[in-house]
Amino acid sequence: MSVQYTPVIWNRNKIFYDAVLLIAVVLYLYIYIRVAPGFEDVTKPIDGAILRMRAFGSCAFLMLTVILCIGPLARLDRRFLPLLYNRRHFGVMTAGIAAVHANYVLTWYYNFSPTDKYVALLSSNTNYGQILGFPFETLGIVALLILFVLAATSHDFWLSFLGAPIWKALHMFIYAAYACVVLHVALGALQGAGDPIFTSVVAASVVLVSGLHFATGRMEARRDRGEETAKASLQEKGWLVAGELDEIDDDCAKVVTLSDDERVAIFKYDGKLSAITNACAHQNGPLGEGKVLWGCITCPWHGYQYNLSDGRAPAPFTEKISTYRLKLIGSTILLDPNALPPGTHVDPVEIGEAA
Amino acid sequence: MQTAELLLELGRWYLMAGGVVAAAFLVFGIDRVEPSARGSYAFRPLLIPGICLIWPLVLYRWFTLEKHGEDAR
Ligand code: HEM
Ligand code: FES
Repeated sequence: MSVQYTPVIWNRNKIFYDAVLLIAVVLYLYIYIRVAPGFEDVTKPIDGAILRMRAFGSCAFLMLTVILCIGPLARLDRRFLPLLYNRRHFGVMTAGIAAVHANYVLTWYYNFSPTDKYVALLSSNTNYGQILGFPFETLGIVALLILFVLAATSHDFWLSFLGAPIWKALHMFIYAAYACVVLHVALGALQGAGDPIFTSVVAASVVLVSGLHFATGRMEARRDRGEETAKASLQEKGWLVAGELDEIDDDCAKVVTLSDDERVAIFKYDGKLSAITNACAHQNGPLGEGKVLWGCITCPWHGYQYNLSDGRAPAPFTEKISTYRLKLIGSTILLDPNALPPGTHVDPVEIGEAA
Repeated sequence: MQTAELLLELGRWYLMAGGVVAAAFLVFGIDRVEPSARGSYAFRPLLIPGICLIWPLVLYRWFTLEKHGEDAR
């Protein structure tokens, strides 16, 4: 990674995404705070600050639900992929909305007591042993802290600095945050004079999030099994596992040794894979160490060139080398070890989505 | 009440320690362990909240990257 860091990278798609997100959030809050109370039971009017607290709390909850659904949706259907790319702005906005919710709680419920409002929040209810009247605020605090940490570590810098394994493990805590929020609501708002609409919204969210993850898990397990079977049947026919897709850099090759005098170079270029013998027709130069240009490999020793799809030197030259057949199963490359006669055309394997 | 005050006090100290780590890391550390950050300054203030929150992890990564270089990534 040699790209320099900037505070935020925006492009037209991201601005559009953020704008839609912002409009949706503002619309939701507006309807919740301005329009919905008109339909409410007039005998139980809700105070403005409480209404706003609930509007922001439920908005953050719904946003968290959507965030957790985007991942499995994108894996089930590629058309959801654009939603995935800008998830971090979504997450940062969610943390902000949740913070506003918490701030309403603090300023509304605890501002009037003589003690410090943070102390009051933590100490007004410590009945952790009971379900009814459980200090559900604590669960909200834990969730909010997690959302803050994730929002604060969403910049590309953190992925590079912490390394992918640590960063991913850290961001898995989003599920813990979701669980805390569900409990925060289940032990808090849902325990009181239950609002049937909100209760069903929470239930639907839990069913949706867990259902989608379950469905994606099953689909991937089924696909993995399918790939295993396909791999096994090819191996039975004598094909070899040549390696994994990500072992090969773009426009470079992985050299596989079949026997001492037979080496095959598998090239990755233009989103495709092709395999040719590693030995140049001129003086057996190592073709796998050459670089690909325009679908041609240039021998690093004296510069002979060959088309990767048929092993033929471009006209007017006439050299020919052996080609090999490849298959890509999932991200595993399989190779038919039987060399085809020099100059035989083999359709390159399209890497497609697996890349 | 006392537990709550103690927790908040601990939290305050934790964040203050984070502030010290953030200053040290952004002034000295980041250029040493993060090549892509060299010459970029505008995004650095953005990292302060994150460093304050997870500064033990930041210190850990800073020292491993100093010791093992790019291999640790
Ligand atoms: C410091 C952190 C938090 C505190 C102190 C807090 C406190 C509260 C309180 C006092 C209520 C009122 C319950 C009632 O009306 O009976 C509430 C409701 C709620 N909170 Fe939080 N909360 C926090 C964080 C969060 C977070 C991070 C989320 C979501 C991401 C969240 C989502 C909700 C929701 C959805 C409700 C129910 C709103 C409704 O009744 O329609 N809260 N919270
Ligand atoms: S060995 Fe390949 S060009 Fe001479």
